[in-house]
This record gives sequence, C-alpha cells and structure tokens, in this order.
Amino acid sequence: MALLSPTRSAPASSAPTRSAPTRTPAGRSASLATRLTARTGSTPGRLTVLMLALAALAIAAGLAAVIGVMQRSSEVDSIINRSGPLTLDSQELYRSLSDADAVAASAFLSNGQEPAALRQRYESDLAAASAALTSATAGDPGQSAVQEISAQLPVYAGLVETARTYNRLNLPVGAAYLREASALMRNDLLVAAKRLYQAETARFDADAGAASGFPWLAIPLAVLTLAGLGYAQVHLTRRTNRLLNVGLAGATAMGLAALIWLGASWVGVRGELSSAQRDGSAQVQLLARARIDALQARADEALTLVARGNGANFDSDYGAMLNDLIGKDGNGGLLQQAGAAATDPAVRAAANSAAGAARSWKSTHQKVDGADTAGDYSGAVKLTIGDDPASSASTFNSLDKDLATGIAATSAQLNRHARSASDALDAAPIGLSALTVLLLVGMVFGFQQRIAEYR
Amino acid sequence: MKTKLFAVATAGLLLTAVAGCASTTAPNAGAVPAVKAPLPAGVQDPAVIPSAAADGDTGCDPRSSLRPPSPMPAPNQMPAGSSMADIAKRGHLTVGVDQNTYLFGYRDAVSGQVVGFDIDTAKLVAQAIFGNANQIKFVAITSAQRIPFIQNGTVDIVADSMTITCERLQQVEFSTDYFDAGQKILVSKGSPYHTIDDLAGKKVCAAAGTTSIVTIATRPSHPIPVAVNDWTDCLVMLQQGQVQAVSTDDNILAGLAAQDPNVEVVGPRFTDEPHGLAIKKTSTDFVRFVNGVLDQARSDGTWAQLYDKWLGGPAPAPPASKYSG
Repeated sequence: MALLSPTRSAPASSAPTRSAPTRTPAGRSASLATRLTARTGSTPGRLTVLMLALAALAIAAGLAAVIGVMQRSSEVDSIINRSGPLTLDSQELYRSLSDADAVAASAFLSNGQEPAALRQRYESDLAAASAALTSATAGDPGQSAVQEISAQLPVYAGLVETARTYNRLNLPVGAAYLREASALMRNDLLVAAKRLYQAETARFDADAGAASGFPWLAIPLAVLTLAGLGYAQVHLTRRTNRLLNVGLAGATAMGLAALIWLGASWVGVRGELSSAQRDGSAQVQLLARARIDALQARADEALTLVARGNGANFDSDYGAMLNDLIGKDGNGGLLQQAGAAATDPAVRAAANSAAGAARSWKSTHQKVDGADTAGDYSGAVKLTIGDDPASSASTFNSLDKDLATGIAATSAQLNRHARSASDALDAAPIGLSALTVLLLVGMVFGFQQRIAEYR
Repeated sequence: MKTKLFAVATAGLLLTAVAGCASTTAPNAGAVPAVKAPLPAGVQDPAVIPSAAADGDTGCDPRSSLRPPSPMPAPNQMPAGSSMADIAKRGHLTVGVDQNTYLFGYRDAVSGQVVGFDIDTAKLVAQAIFGNANQIKFVAITSAQRIPFIQNGTVDIVADSMTITCERLQQVEFSTDYFDAGQKILVSKGSPYHTIDDLAGKKVCAAAGTTSIVTIATRPSHPIPVAVNDWTDCLVMLQQGQVQAVSTDDNILAGLAAQDPNVEVVGPRFTDEPHGLAIKKTSTDFVRFVNGVLDQARSDGTWAQLYDKWLGGPAPAPPASKYSG
C-alpha cells in the first residue's frame, strides 16, 4: 500500500462523510464507530458495513490501477527519453572511437600528407565521441567507463598528433606513436566504451522488463471488488426479491470496463515493448556489433601496413573480425544473423548488401596481403586506401553505409514501438479514475436505495 | 613572518576542510581518476628473457666467412645451376628488411619506399646479379622472422643489422662483416647515466628477441630490461620517461638519436657486434658471390660512400674481410 500517495487518499475519507448524513439521525457528537457498532445488528447496518467495505476496496483498486498505469507510463517515458537515447549514445561513442582508430591509421599510410577528407572524418569522430560522452555523463555520471574514457581520450588524441608530426618530419618514430595510440584505443578506450554500451543496453532491457510487468496489485483488487459487487447483488436479490439494482449493476459495468482497460493497456504495452526489443533493440545490437567489428577490421588492415613486419597480430585480428562478420565461409556470422532476424525488408536488404560488401572486402584484403608479402608495398597501400571501386576503402565504406542504414531503420522501429506503448497509456490514468468514481457513485446509489427502504 | 605563518595555517585549515567536504560528498564528484600512462603494444615490463643458449661452439669465429669466387661472374651471366641463376631467372632478388631502423632500414614517408644503409647494401647484390639495382623486392619482417624466413626460402637475403653469432651460424650462413657495431646506451641529454653500469635497478629498453635484451638482463649492474616490438617503441618510452635508457647496437641507437635532438648515445661499446647478410645455409655459392660483392664495395670506395650518405663522414675503414674455406 506504499503506492498510495497522500493526495490520492482524499476520496477514501470523503465517501463515508458523503453518505453519513443520509442515515445518521443521531447527534453529530456520536462517532462513526459507535454508530456502526449500534447498527451492525440490524440489516441496514450490515448493508452499510458491506457498502463501506466495498467502497474501500474499490478505492484501493482504483488507486492501484491509476498509480500503476502512471508508473508504467513513466517507465515507458524513461525508455523513450533516457535509456533508449543513452543506448544510442553509448553505441555512437563506441562507433566514433573505433572509426577514429581506423581513420587515423588509414591517414597515416598516405605518405605524410594525409588527405583532408580523412583528417576531417577523424576530427568529426572525436567531436562525436566527446558529444556522446557528454550526454553519457549527464545520464549516468557514476559510470567508471565514462570517467575512464573522459580521462584517456585527450591522451589518445595527443598521441595521434605526435604521430602525425613525426610522420610529416619523415621520422619512423611516428609509426611507433601511432601504434601506441592504437594500443591505448583498443586496450582501454574501446574496452570501456563496450562496457558502457553493454550497461546501457542492459538498463534498456531492464526498463522494458519493468514497464511490461503484470499489474499484480491492481488486477486482483479489481477482481475482488467485482466479486464483492456480485456478492452484494446476489445478497440483495435474495433479501428483496428484486432482480435488478440499477446502481450496483452500473457499478459492476464500470468495474468490468476498468478491469478490461487495465488488462488491455498491459497487453498493449507489453506487446509494443517486446516488438521494440525484437524489431528494434535486438536487431540494432546485432548490426551495431557488426559495425564495430567492421571498423576494427578496417583499423587492423591499415595498421598491418603501418606496422609492416610487426603487423602479424593486426592481420590475424582482421581475420577474426571478418569471421565474426560473415563466418569462415562468407555466408554466416553476424550479418547473416542480422538478415535472418530482420523484420523490415529494408533492414534485411541492408544486412544482405553489407554481407556482400564484406565478402568482396575480404577478397581485396587477400590481394593486399599478397602484394605486401611479395614486397609490393605501394601496391598494397593503393589497394587499401585508394578510391578504386574495388579497393578496401571503397568496399569498407559501402559496408559501413549499409550497416548505418540498417541501424537507423531499426532504431526508428524501436522508437515507433516505444511511442505506441506510451500512447497506449495516455488516456489510462484519467479513464481509470473516472471509472472508479462512477463505480463508487453507482454503488453508493444502489446501496442507499435499499437502506432507505428500511426506514 | 607571523602573518605568513598565519596565512599558511589558514590555508592548511581550509584545505583540510575542503578535503573533509570532498570525502563526505558522492565518491565520484570531483574525484580525479588515476590515469595510467599509455604503453606501446606488446610491451613487456619487465621483459621475459629467453634463456640465453650457452654458446657451446667456442671454436667459432663469427667474422670468418666463405672465400669469393675468382673471377666474379659478370651481371646477367650467372653460372648455370647456381643459386644466383635461380634468382636471375625469377627476375628479382627478395630481401628481408626492417622498416623501423632509422638510417639502416626504414620507410621513407614521402616516397613510401624502404631506404637506408642496409637497403643500399642489399641493392649492391641486385646490381651484381642483374646489372640493375632496382630488380629487388623488400619484405618487411620482424627480428624473430629473420632466421625462419631464410630457412624456408621466403627471402634470399636478410639485411637487417643482424649480428653474426656462433649460435645463429648453426642455422644460417652469413656474409663477411659489412658493418661493425657494439652495444651502447641511449639516454636523455643531461641524464646522470653514462654507462650501462650506472643503470642499476633502472629500466632499460630493447626489442624483444634480440641479443641486446639478453645482454641488458645479464649485466652485473642488473638493470631492469623492458622489451618492445620495435626500436622506435623504445624511443617513445624514453621520450615519455617510462624507461631511463635504450641499449642496443650503436648504429641503431644513432638512428634513434637522429630523430630527437634531446637524446644522445653515450659510453663505451660493451659488446662486439659484427653485422652480416644472412643467407640460407645450403646456398654456399651465393654466400661466396655476396662476399665478392662486398669485397668490391670495400675496395672501390662504394662502402665509404654509403657510410657518408647515411651516417655522415668521414667514413672509417670498412670492416676487414676474413675467409676460412
């Protein structure tokens, strides 16, 4: 009963006072308790007690229902306004950091003078990461992952700038700084970003679970109220031989309507939120994981060439990422799963097109490897960062674009379902309050008719 | 004086009060997270030292190699059936190199090509086979890949500041000594360290899998060896103050010092490191041919020119060739 707010309990005390004058000829000084004790022996007294008990039950049920839907509504709102956006922000943080790693390595391969477009992309990645970090901080400042990224991101950027400067001076220590920056990114920043992303996803799922919970208090109370009304009607029919008590029948109808509304809103919200999870967040997670894998593979590919000779680790990591994406045979992995799970044809098309791009990227990468092993370094670099349609850069870009399209579409689905869930609850608090009041009015009216007959 | 004391006391009280407040608020508010210094990928601190194989073969002379043929075959006229004829048929010489050893083998960021003293030395061999120094392919390899890549024929030659040791001579063949080096230390200018023996208990960096890291670990002064993947990683750690010195062959140290005017190579050489070109053990005819190429470079001034070009003159006398069989 902790759910009952003090303001909401006002009608509970007004009900008996409203009905009291009509059946208390005794002086005002007599307390309600005394009067009740005096009257319980008589039939009107028993009816009054029954009425008051039913009124208390109905008020409790109404309060539980109204407060329950208001809570549910605020949980859905928190998905829309808080855990949903935070999940997206943490995903954007993860993506932009991975992208910065990939772009910094690619830019490094371009003979000292990095292309302006790559430079711009690196800078907007850092800006996006900072922005996402700011909202993550506002949303949840206690996260150790957020603090870790905030502390290390400037260090990372500093290392990349040192690497660029040395590279422009044509000194090989620049590559060592870039490798150190990338190690910091992979071993600390991306690990923290992943932790944050997982925490936000878990929170989203928890919010969705909480908002989908069965109304354990309101529905049993409502059923109990209806049972009480039923009992009262059967009881009165036996006593008075009158088949229909209009007031009580109306109250029962109101109670049934409230019960149906409550149940329907629960089923509706649960349905929308499970759709939001199935069509939205579960698919977004698959696609987001695929996108992060692709970005890491892109960084691996460039770092293999930056770290020439010592690039074996990066190269085997590339293989692992591609296996994750499309499986060993090119027809499995995350992209296949994402395609199979897709409920929106556009998302399925995006996942399939991404898988195709990943396959051609893998075959281009084999050519890059071959060229590098055979000592054709410039050829390998050209295949990796050139703008030829068959180059790694081009195939990777179309893969990334496909995944971005898929993520945007599924995120929209998620939002749409969450909003429908919120809409399903919009009228519920007012409607349920009104039904409760009408139920009370009908019930009191019905009882009063019978009690009056004993005077 | 009294006012100053009072001010100090007040400041102290205020600080205590602030500290007291900070500890009572939420644990994260205003707390500065501990930042750990970034490290190069794959750093080992302290290094795991490979058990130094005891040099059983004491009768070995690392500087001694196989005598060149006389006369040397002219370019494009390699004797039929020889290792050089196989290379000539393929159309290019394949050379394993490092791309991170400044001045000896490194990637020029502007041209994208690998250049340096070791690279030019390998080009002399291509010139002698093809009459064209550019019929050559460079494969970037790690220190640990040098011997296996020679043994499995991935590369014909390794030109990567490789020290000739008796242990390695059991696995591969070496040319004559084409560059004499010795281990020294690289420190920040003005540091209190002048020799490896000043570095007792201090961190000293070298690449993993090299003779240098073993030497650091076995010095009587007991420096703490820190191993990294590439020599340039050592320079990064020295610049970031994470190690107090870098120690390896002085030619590699010179390459690092040339990238940062704030560091210098100091102290005497405490090891003797003759560098040779590594070649497959069974290709003795190729070893002899390469020795002939090196001899010519010593006598006609090419070696001195390369020294001037990469390391700055005046060039010392080239290391003498020594043959046994």
